[in-house]
Amino acid sequence: MIKKHQPLRKFPDYKSSISRSPNKEPLWINSSSSEMSGPLFNEKIINKNDNNLTLNFSKTGEKPLGQEIFVHGFVKDENGNNLKNVLIEIWQANAGGKYRHQNDPSNIKLDENFGGCGRFITSSDGYYIFKTIEPGAYPYPNRGIEWRPRHIHFSLFGSMFLQRLITQMYFEGDPLIKSCPMVNSIPDINARKLLVGKLDLSKTDEERILGYRFDIILRGRQQTYFENKIEGS
Amino acid sequence: MVKIQKFIDTPSQTAGPFLHIGCTPRITGINIFKSELGLTPFQDISDNEAINIKGKIYDGNKEPIIDAMIETWQCDANGNYSSNQGFARIVTDFKTGEYQLKTIRPGNEINTDGYLSPSYITFWIVARGMNRPLITRMYFLENDLKNDLMFQRLNIEDRLKTLIPYTEDEKNFVFDIHLQGKKETIFFEF
Repeated sequence: MIKKHQPLRKFPDYKSSISRSPNKEPLWINSSSSEMSGPLFNEKIINKNDNNLTLNFSKTGEKPLGQEIFVHGFVKDENGNNLKNVLIEIWQANAGGKYRHQNDPSNIKLDENFGGCGRFITSSDGYYIFKTIEPGAYPYPNRGIEWRPRHIHFSLFGSMFLQRLITQMYFEGDPLIKSCPMVNSIPDINARKLLVGKLDLSKTDEERILGYRFDIILRGRQQTYFENKIEGS
Repeated sequence: MVKIQKFIDTPSQTAGPFLHIGCTPRITGINIFKSELGLTPFQDISDNEAINIKGKIYDGNKEPIIDAMIETWQCDANGNYSSNQGFARIVTDFKTGEYQLKTIRPGNEINTDGYLSPSYITFWIVARGMNRPLITRMYFLENDLKNDLMFQRLNIEDRLKTLIPYTEDEKNFVFDIHLQGKKETIFFEF
């Protein structure tokens, strides 16, 4: 059984997936208590500015370089119900495409006012919002040197461990999306579009902050893949 | 009746090699959050009940993966899952690829068929090169699995040992995970 809207584990165009994916098929089993339960996190672990990446690392209050943006949206289940108390963690490169990480080999400068991570817990209506800057695109070794489209990593905890998700949001209109092997590892072309944050001019403001809208759907207990329809398709 | 879902779930994407920035930021020198998630699966584990699990994740070239994150999820000693304990987040060492987990031995949960399942810890693994997480379980005794109805139905007796750690003593276990090759670990899908 293949979930066509989920990426293939082994996708040779993304070279490191060749040795980092199993050769045998996974074993399909019924979910039990361990998949249907999961850790829950509450507001107590969150500081006020955890979702504001333009402030949460800066020691002086000075803003990081780059276009400021809001990234916001709703977390829902497959039936469209909004999911509250979902912990979202994000991380990203700075405006020059450099990560604050000892293993990032690039010689682009770090931004002393930018750490590159944030946290938020969805409100009672499933809403989340981050304030950050647009990350830069950057090259990486794959089939020769290739370029990652600009992206923000998202990690989400639903109420069941089965719903655990790590994904990436891309930016509407980025010409690098089309050739990205990580995006193209998803067989269903329509499902790839679900990873693109849409420019949201209703969320811009006079402080020159651009808005992007990115809704996220977490899976349920059972899935009926063959009947799935993507909204608008 | 088959229930038709309105939406499909958002596709997974790799966590990439820099997942530590968002998931274990202190490792990267970022100290802005109140606490790191899943530092220990249970508060105040006594020496009496503590068990230690360590191991490496080997890729298809038999090289240990040095940039993986493992999240473990387990029940307590009585077989009960609780949303405020049982979760740990660990990463493999940048140089050696080894992970280490100090936890307690889980009890036996009642599974969907209504009988007691052999005890296990869920391992949820992400890394660069993994477009989707890999999910496996560490059980403790191979004989438990041979007698387990679910595994008997799956007819994979020759691979069951990939779910069992090397037992150094009753408190110390080595659970290596092999993505490919003769010892390829069993991974689950739900």
